Amino acid sequence: MGNLGESLIEELTCETVFTVHGIGISESVVVTWVIMAAVLLASILLTSRLKVENPGRGQLLLEHAVVSIQNIGTGIIGEEGRQYGAYLSAILIYIGIANTIGILGFKPPTKDMNVTAALALMSIILIEFAGIHKKGVRGWLKSFAEPIAIVTPINILEVFIKPLSLCMRLFGNVIGAFVIMKLIEHILPWVLPVPFSMYFDIFDGLIQAYVFVFLTGLFIKEAIE
Amino acid sequence: MSTLIAIGAGIAVLAGIGAGIGIGIATSKATEAVARQPEAEGKIMKILLLGSALAEATAIYGFVIALFIIILLA
Repeated sequence: MGNLGESLIEELTCETVFTVHGIGISESVVVTWVIMAAVLLASILLTSRLKVENPGRGQLLLEHAVVSIQNIGTGIIGEEGRQYGAYLSAILIYIGIANTIGILGFKPPTKDMNVTAALALMSIILIEFAGIHKKGVRGWLKSFAEPIAIVTPINILEVFIKPLSLCMRLFGNVIGAFVIMKLIEHILPWVLPVPFSMYFDIFDGLIQAYVFVFLTGLFIKEAIE
Repeated sequence: MSTLIAIGAGIAVLAGIGAGIGIGIATSKATEAVARQPEAEGKIMKILLLGSALAEATAIYGFVIALFIIILLA
């Protein structure tokens, strides 16, 4: 068991791959670059031969996929905040790929808490920006004292709790699935991990991506109401 | 010392009880709802998955704390 604990801790720490002028580039950043390159390449290849007339089967499939991903975002925040739909789709694609990339042998970048913290920070900045953009600075400040003045401290606290819970939820789920998969692989490395990998890597990863996007959308909707 | 760390981590993981009860209640209600209105299955499924994921978060917090206790104190 001692050996297992050590190897687990080794897997959990995010190692630095190389350093540029003293700045450490960690593994999660490199995997994120891989995802970015793959998504960029896919976007270029898939959209290079689009036609207005007589679209091919691939183009129809692509249009359907794009529209359904966009509908996930706008379905949550509604018509009022459709300019934030693009952010939601982008983050859905990124987290979805990042959570399921464990199948290909990469370490999922969302296993690193710095990545989920950055995502949560981006989300809370967008949420507060949406509030300010919609209501103006004074209206935004006033919205802290709603519905009654006595809940102001709780509302201010919520600004910090929202990103914390978003960050911890994603990180905890991914790392939990990762630890359980490692334990299962430790017990029996051949057939047993396959069905569990289906659940933990694919199903749970996509659900968590959806939950992150759903909550961000819900908070934005709340902010612009 | 390591015994205390193990006990602490075990207590932190007790947070899973609440999530288990919550998801159990949600699933039982969803089953009832589908039995009553089979045509609304898709919508119910979506809400159930979302609710389960949110309820699961408390268990995950307990797990993260247990992991931190083990890694940071060991």
